[in-house]
Amino acid sequence: MNTIFLKNFLSRYSPKYVRSLVYMMQASEYHVRDFVRWYLRTLNFAQVEQRKKLVVTPKAFVFLSVGYLVLGLLYVFVVWAVLVGIVWWKYLLSLFVFLGAPIAIVITMVGLLLVSRYIQMPVEYFIVASAKEKLRMHPAHKIAVAGSFGKTSMREILKTVLGAGKKVAAPPRSYNTPLGISAFVKSLKGDEEVLIFEMGEYYPKDIKRLCAFVQPTVGVITGVNEAHLEKFKDIERTKKTIFELADYLGDKPIYVNGENELAQKNGRPTDLLYSRFGVGSWKVQKPKSDVSGTSFVLQNESSKVSVRSQLLGLHQIGPLSVAVDMAADFGLSLEAIERGISETKPFEHRLEPRTDVQGITILDDSYNGNPDGVRAVIEFLSSLRGGRRWYVTPGLVEMGKKKEDVHKEIGAHLAKAGIEKVVLVKNSVTPFIAMGLRDARYSGEVVWFDRALDAFAALPNLTVKGDIVLLQNDWPDQYA
Amino acid sequence: MKTIAVIFGGRSAEHDVSIITAHIPIIDSLQAAGGFDIWPVYITKVGDWYADKAMNRLAFFKQPNYEAVLKKQKKVQLSFDKGLTLVWPGLREKKVKIDVVFPSMHGTYGEDGSLMGLLRMAKVPFVGCDMASSAVAMDKAFTKQVLVAEGVPVVPFTWFTKVSWAQSKKYLLEKISTLKYPLFVKPVHLGSSIGITKVKSFAQLENAIEVALHYDDKILVEEGVEDLIEVTLPIIGNYELTLASVERPLNKTEFFDFKDKYLSGGKGGGVNSEYSEIPANIDAELLKQVQDLGRKTYKTLGCCGIARVDFLINSATKKIFVNEVNTLPGSLYQHNWKKSGLSGVKLVTKLISLAEERFAAEQQLTHTFSSEILSKVGGPKVQ
Repeated sequence: MNTIFLKNFLSRYSPKYVRSLVYMMQASEYHVRDFVRWYLRTLNFAQVEQRKKLVVTPKAFVFLSVGYLVLGLLYVFVVWAVLVGIVWWKYLLSLFVFLGAPIAIVITMVGLLLVSRYIQMPVEYFIVASAKEKLRMHPAHKIAVAGSFGKTSMREILKTVLGAGKKVAAPPRSYNTPLGISAFVKSLKGDEEVLIFEMGEYYPKDIKRLCAFVQPTVGVITGVNEAHLEKFKDIERTKKTIFELADYLGDKPIYVNGENELAQKNGRPTDLLYSRFGVGSWKVQKPKSDVSGTSFVLQNESSKVSVRSQLLGLHQIGPLSVAVDMAADFGLSLEAIERGISETKPFEHRLEPRTDVQGITILDDSYNGNPDGVRAVIEFLSSLRGGRRWYVTPGLVEMGKKKEDVHKEIGAHLAKAGIEKVVLVKNSVTPFIAMGLRDARYSGEVVWFDRALDAFAALPNLTVKGDIVLLQNDWPDQYA
Repeated sequence: MKTIAVIFGGRSAEHDVSIITAHIPIIDSLQAAGGFDIWPVYITKVGDWYADKAMNRLAFFKQPNYEAVLKKQKKVQLSFDKGLTLVWPGLREKKVKIDVVFPSMHGTYGEDGSLMGLLRMAKVPFVGCDMASSAVAMDKAFTKQVLVAEGVPVVPFTWFTKVSWAQSKKYLLEKISTLKYPLFVKPVHLGSSIGITKVKSFAQLENAIEVALHYDDKILVEEGVEDLIEVTLPIIGNYELTLASVERPLNKTEFFDFKDKYLSGGKGGGVNSEYSEIPANIDAELLKQVQDLGRKTYKTLGCCGIARVDFLINSATKKIFVNEVNTLPGSLYQHNWKKSGLSGVKLVTKLISLAEERFAAEQQLTHTFSSEILSKVGGPKVQ
């Protein structure tokens, strides 16, 4: 116990300390609140940089230089005070500075962060204003996607399907902050016919601000759940923030996920609800899904399309239907729509299947960390036949006070679905999954690991041909 | 918690392969299973013994200077007092008592029975074949002689030593002339394909024998099999045997020169061909014969724990021959077990329990008996 305490204490004096701090800043996207929370929670600073590595951007370089410089000066002072410390208080002072140095560095860095923000603010304002003007003049359909989960999948589906007949552009990866979007807008040529924006919400009014910026003409609300609850504190506030998109659009078309209870309840009668049963006047028939893909038929009064996507799970039918409806609205031919749907495929780490040479199928769903997605994926896993099914998870993050309920529910769901093997990573939330499993009289095997990386290393030695392994959610370092 | 020593490395041409087998799958699977205290025991190419948990990671051996790193460490010694204990001597002496040993050595001074003899002396349970079967299986000529005596089919062969070749070359060449070409000339003790030559005519024979004698002091000359299909069968068990799938290696170059391989037109061919076909696509009758012969060979040699039996099949005549037995298949043939429904964890934990089972049975035997012979010896005869 004492050696652990000593190790933790000494990690603040390790040469890697400043690097760890800058890594934590970068990983928390330079949000002061998130960084400070992470700092206060961390015990050992020698072990924070595990899943990713610090990328030395110009910004990170400035923080690294300032950090090491200030720390160096403090230590020089300490040595100097000890060497010339004839008077007793000089020893005391050097001890005080030595003990205080690690925290002094944090204060310096947070200060630097705040100062840099105030310097950036007017520059940012100017950049955003000019991008906003360019967008206002741009003739394309502007689709905004908001929600606690499933935004990236929705963006990718729309991009692929609409792209079969229109010129479509969307900001790459998670460029969903005003500055990120501005950089994207700057790159537009003006001949794009559809623009798709993913709207990230971290705090109230975020969506409202983004709407005023991108001025969407069509909206999609993928759902409301406990993702990011730790930041919002209250699910009502999450809901209100996400529905700022509906408030902005007024009577313009908005698609709302009918499979998500909170979103559906909050919708207005004029909203287009979408689900595995269809959207608007389109009705789904013959739905089928396995590890090779998902197929279904969509029919309304005038048209019928028979589609097959490489995406996995019946829960994908709702979003795919939205793309079909929108594409038909934008004037795409039925052939183009069918072709577009056939090109949709799993986005990386989102229920992405691969079968190795040993005949073991891995379903990599490590970027899916929200309760609705988890529910859908367990349902999909339980529908698969032919081998033992493994569910591997460290649990979900940012569930706030819902933590216990959400995880117990996952346990109960796994038990009910009859998943043969559940692999859990020891942490603060997985015991709740175990409780849920126990309460639901789970009859399979639960395997525990100390760390997620240990579980990943062990899996090839636990599995045999025909097994299907689902990797659910991988915690980034700031939650480990 | 059981303490397992995984012993690997050693004075063998297959030193590096042994390091891989020790980690993938043995140590990795023991770690995945949990509940084991794993001590990697590494024997250097010159025969020094080291044990350090840092060596549980394969990455340790990927460091270019790992030998230099080891030299700075204290060598480990073995104590046979009431079982096997690892001892790091010195002022702060450290001891670790071992419950089960998992040998992971290929080839000489390990797989050939040497290590098993040492472990028998230490009175510690160990995984895999015992001393006698390991020693027999290591010698391709011995293996065939034992199998022939028990009615297991092998291809016609002859063997001789370096000394007899020097003394009675003519006689040996005559003996070889009773065999049908093409022939294979092999060093009897070496694994992989080292020193093996396919000989198509008498003119090539002497040269091939000299090549083989360069590697070993005992060699085997045997008939080749026409329309050859090679298959292999990994087996585990002591009394009750569990068979893996019959596997057909598809890129095995051991007996084939390029032309043969090209002409034989193997499936897929070239670099794109799969490593092996599991289960082998051969007809059901052949499959059953291979399985029966596999069991019989395993029992005949007295194998226990794990072994792999290699077969040669003439696909035209459907005749099957046992070629050789490997008492520690590389990486335990984990790829095959996995496809046969046994995971790495299940495989290594099963092997450990088989080791304990055999050890317990051995303890039941009476190894000593009291006699009065010592007291009766006396007088001037004993000097």
